Amino acid sequence: MARSTDADRVIRKPFAALRGLDPESRWGLAVLVPIILLGSLVPAFSPYHPEVAGTGIPLQPPDLTHLFGTDDLGRDVFVRTFAAAQLDMTLAFLGVAGPLLIGTFIGAVIGTTKWPLVSGAWMILIDAINAFPFIAITLAIVALFGSGPQGILAALTLTNWARYAKLARARALVVGKSDYFFATRVLGYSRPRVLLRHVLPNVYSESLAYGLSDFVFVILVIAGLSFLGAGTRPPTPEWGAMMSDGRLFLTTAWWIAVFPGLALSVTAVGVALVADGLERRSRE
Amino acid sequence: MTATVTPLLQVEDLSVAFRKPGGRLLPVVDKVNLTVGVDRAHGVVGESGSGKTMLCRTLIGTLRRHGAVVTGGRILLDGQDLARADERAWRKIRGRVIGYVPQSSLASLNPVLSVETQLVEAVTVAGRTSARDARAEALRLLELVRIPRAKQVLGQRSHELSGGMRQRVIIACALAPRPRLLIADEPTTALDVTVEHKILELIGDVRREFGMSLILVSHDLAVVDEVCDEVVVMYAGASVEAGNLERIRPEPRHPYTRALRISRVDSAHPGQDLEAIGGEAPSLGAWPSGCRFWPRCPMAQDDCRPDGQPPLAWFAGRWTACIHADLMERP
Amino acid sequence: MPGPLIEAKDVTVRFGYGSEAIDAVRNASIYVNANEAVGVVGESGSGKTTLARVVVDLVQPTAGQILLDGVPVIHAGSRGGFPRADRWKVQMVFQDPYSSLNPRQRAWESVAEAIQVWQRVPARVARERALELLRSMGITEDQAGRFPRALSGGQRQRVSVARALAPRPQALIADEPTSAIDQSAQAHLLNLLRRIQKERGLALLFISHDLGVIRYLTSRVYVMKAGEIVEWGPTERVFQQPEHPYTRLLLDSVPGRRVVRRTAAVVP
Repeated sequence: MARSTDADRVIRKPFAALRGLDPESRWGLAVLVPIILLGSLVPAFSPYHPEVAGTGIPLQPPDLTHLFGTDDLGRDVFVRTFAAAQLDMTLAFLGVAGPLLIGTFIGAVIGTTKWPLVSGAWMILIDAINAFPFIAITLAIVALFGSGPQGILAALTLTNWARYAKLARARALVVGKSDYFFATRVLGYSRPRVLLRHVLPNVYSESLAYGLSDFVFVILVIAGLSFLGAGTRPPTPEWGAMMSDGRLFLTTAWWIAVFPGLALSVTAVGVALVADGLERRSRE
Repeated sequence: MTATVTPLLQVEDLSVAFRKPGGRLLPVVDKVNLTVGVDRAHGVVGESGSGKTMLCRTLIGTLRRHGAVVTGGRILLDGQDLARADERAWRKIRGRVIGYVPQSSLASLNPVLSVETQLVEAVTVAGRTSARDARAEALRLLELVRIPRAKQVLGQRSHELSGGMRQRVIIACALAPRPRLLIADEPTTALDVTVEHKILELIGDVRREFGMSLILVSHDLAVVDEVCDEVVVMYAGASVEAGNLERIRPEPRHPYTRALRISRVDSAHPGQDLEAIGGEAPSLGAWPSGCRFWPRCPMAQDDCRPDGQPPLAWFAGRWTACIHADLMERP
Repeated sequence: MPGPLIEAKDVTVRFGYGSEAIDAVRNASIYVNANEAVGVVGESGSGKTTLARVVVDLVQPTAGQILLDGVPVIHAGSRGGFPRADRWKVQMVFQDPYSSLNPRQRAWESVAEAIQVWQRVPARVARERALELLRSMGITEDQAGRFPRALSGGQRQRVSVARALAPRPQALIADEPTSAIDQSAQAHLLNLLRRIQKERGLALLFISHDLGVIRYLTSRVYVMKAGEIVEWGPTERVFQQPEHPYTRLLLDSVPGRRVVRRTAAVVP
């Protein structure tokens, strides 16, 4: 008896949730889910190693043995593209989640604080960070923390939180003027309780919606940084890095840059579709 | 009820529904009848969910932007059926033949433009006049709605005016084209009671002066009673009682009308509970079968549940949807 | 005979500075005894809501003080406001049913939270008590499980009342609780407030612009205009022999009392 209901929960409920999604989100997922799956399956089952050079004939065009061809170091582009998918999506997820959590929390706090000076001071910091040219700040942080995944994540977290904070603060200001917020004061609720149960739940949905579209942005940032050489280090496969490496061969071995570029675009579109669909649903 | 003159507006069995995703229709107004005579004032009374607001919107042709459609019935004005009219036809009528005073004056006046600009616009839309004539007419209209220091108010903006003043400006704008019928949708709900009194008085006086007909929509029977001659009481999309207020006021013949009256604080006996109507009004899409008031009705009987909401029947000098109206005694 | 439960003395609330300052409330003094229903009536801009919010410590007075059982708990210039230990004593029901409940909490959760905090019981007991309290307000268990957006205005107000009663207060400030709901819901809510005021011996301060409601519910009334109290006294006396011209104006403006004008005769 218990086993069948567990199966119900694991299988039936997610499918029911999927059925509730509108066509946009469904297309988006139809695109993303295969990429995520292939991202884990392909590197696991491919006979080729994504990083070791010299195992194959370099600059081979796509054929049945190498579906996406090989790059200048003889590596299989197909396995590299999907190994990169894993890395890029994970980094992008962390690169959104970190700023989202930190920024939303800070925004919620300063939006409902009693002390106008606190709110004012933080807003100066937030506006300053948001105003700074993103590339400059990011490169500076990467220079400090070193390149590679930790540098990228540090750069994203230290800068992007400010956008979420601004969004959350705007929502929190509205919450702070609502009667149910005043009620918590009359009811003598403690500040942590009010923040956790009354402010944050009413504030996070905008951040979440923004986060989904931010996901696309972050993927592009990671690719861009790696393209510039400030992101992941070779031989780690990463879409931006692959596109950068493939630049030199665009006319001769186009597949080296084009396939990761395609994968990047398709992923970005997929996320955008899911984000749009969810946003539309939350609006109803 | 035989009318000796052609009524100005005749609403026959009008039904309106919201269009839901998937092509579903959610009824909100169900076979409502309303006959507005020339130079007569009608009230439409109902609480939230009664359909009175959508009825209003149907009569000024703004259903589409609210996602609703007419699903049955006719709206006859000068021989034309407005229920089937398209936007082009409505544009000739809306504002010019049928004027509209909304509930929220703050949302209806452009905060950036001066009062004069908006009045002049209302005047010029009604007919071609020179700029100077339009401005003179704007001033005249403000004086007509009894705004003190009208010249000064012309230059002001909506947020600089009090609620009562804003409502007067809105009325002035609505009167500019000299409509034959004015529909006022809860025009005093947002106003203080002292101001409400004056605005209702103004509406009544202006109406008589111009020989305009009036449809006044309100949740408050007393407000309608102050200005109107006839009333339609709405509940859950249907009209449950309709007729002359002289008849209905002292002796309501539908349990809902009666319940509305006796649940007022003024009808309360000191020290006793108010006669509240039990239960809740049904929400859209959850209308009970048979008489819609049946679940909450103090005189409900077994045969109160025929197929569908009972139609209005003529009884004791007014129309009522209660098939047991004869059992109701004077309250 | 003990003194008033809750009292406002010479309260002034000033917004803005210098020449732009407005006194929302000026030198207002009111009091409410235990087991008494007192009304504050006035139109918009009269300051009645601001005064109510000073009493529950939502607005700081510029001058004057609020006393609880004769002890000053709020005075101009003090930063602390109500001592947290006394917070349970004075609770409030707000006017707007659409913003007075947390949209992310189910009805029973709003009430259970207050019970948990003030009655210091575990979550499960709090839930049971919350459902019980809501039931006594006419909210079924099914309705209690809903989010505010799935409840009608009248139902939301009743949930608000339940939440306000959860700390078992001695005084209840009701800020126009019936102004934004339908007439049939209004009748229910008024009956409910009357009942709980009597049952619990509450000091009820009822703010309204509706004279009929004030007359029905309260035994004493304060009339406010432009921030000042212009008249006060036993409700019946004020209604039948108003002394201040503004009170008379208010009474004359109530629908039903006014001179009614009609058009031509009945069309047969």
